[in-house]
Amino acid sequence: MRNSIAIIVAILILITSFLAFTNTPIFVRGYSAVKSGFSETIGPMLKLMAKPMDLVSSVFDSYANLVGAKKENAELKKKLDSLLLENQKISDLERENRRLRTLLNFVEKNPKSVIGARVVGEDLKNWYKCIIIDKGSASNIKEKMPVVTPRGIVGQTVEVDRWHAKVMVINDTNSSVDVSAEGKDTRGLLEGTGQEVLKLKYVLKNDDIEIGDKLLTSGKDGIYPKGLPAGIVITVNRNKPGIFADIDIMPFSNFKHLEEVLVIKR
Amino acid sequence: MKVAIYTFLGLLLLLAESSLLSFIPVEIFKPDLGIPLVIYTTLFLGPQAGIIATLFIGFMQEGLSAAPHGSILFVKIAVFLIATFLKKKLYIDSKFSFAFVCSGFVVLESLLYITLSLLAKGETRNALNILFYTIPNAVFTGFIGIFIFSFIEYLNVRYLDRE
Repeated sequence: MRNSIAIIVAILILITSFLAFTNTPIFVRGYSAVKSGFSETIGPMLKLMAKPMDLVSSVFDSYANLVGAKKENAELKKKLDSLLLENQKISDLERENRRLRTLLNFVEKNPKSVIGARVVGEDLKNWYKCIIIDKGSASNIKEKMPVVTPRGIVGQTVEVDRWHAKVMVINDTNSSVDVSAEGKDTRGLLEGTGQEVLKLKYVLKNDDIEIGDKLLTSGKDGIYPKGLPAGIVITVNRNKPGIFADIDIMPFSNFKHLEEVLVIKR
Repeated sequence: MKVAIYTFLGLLLLLAESSLLSFIPVEIFKPDLGIPLVIYTTLFLGPQAGIIATLFIGFMQEGLSAAPHGSILFVKIAVFLIATFLKKKLYIDSKFSFAFVCSGFVVLESLLYITLSLLAKGETRNALNILFYTIPNAVFTGFIGIFIFSFIEYLNVRYLDRE
């Protein structure tokens, strides 16, 4: 009898969760309330758990550094030669300087519109690319706020609880960012693939885009402000069928090593 | 009592996975630590304990994921129901057979999730991504399942009543 009750309860929860998943209004509201209540209780626990992360991470990094030190030394020598060559590319550096200055200006001009947050966790499933930050609605964070680092965009907030917020990273399959190539008219949609490399969609084959072009946010998607660095073009394939080119993009930020991020208030 | 301890253990493991293990640079090593606990409580403590553990772990996983509302809880409850109905068919006599069952349920969970997304919302964008991670997730969950099973058995023998 008791077992039957457990199974009936399970079936009822199954139906409720299905209706919440399909966005049935009454169920979504009720479900969200229960879920956010639950999330609020785990928020402080997650923050507490993240404290030893620095220690674990530094031990891991030190070990990895030690193992890779010899190999790294040889690589660094090679890099030194290439850096001497790169040093001559002042124009590139000037352009980068301007870009970073824009970002810095943005932060300096709007100090109250930027909130610093610490990354305390990441998505439990590798099906979705999301990080969890230690600021939530108590720090005036709302959904659909852009999240950046000085290197480039990270993503946008998707779920906000009192103590923490979830940030959908731009390499998530549900993410799209309107971008344009720096110094060119070429525009496209930067879409996540679930992997490290992103895809730039809807760029015509005869559009002006080359390997090494830097992509900046266009500001036309209504989420990201204009001029934030998004990534760099690593491959351009114009030989596939159709009118659009197949373009791979490497984001500027390594999303696995984020410690602090900036949330831009809108 | 036992279900409270196992659920608490599950919550701790999930929190640790989300915060402490995020420094591991390889995306592929992400076991589903909820599955071994759901399977253990359902098969060894019965459906009542199973539903309590499943509900808590499902909510917890959804709270720590960007998955849509209800999706993870749905697949976890489905896994619970399937495990309940297969209880007499599954013969777990060691930590290795437990690990094998856990791996199987991770594969089943991924397939259920893809089916749910496809049938309920017609979403196909993430299907390949989920399929890509299914086997590594299953293998790694099975591997971790060995340690979880051994630890729970140790708790049972040392501190709790062995049933």
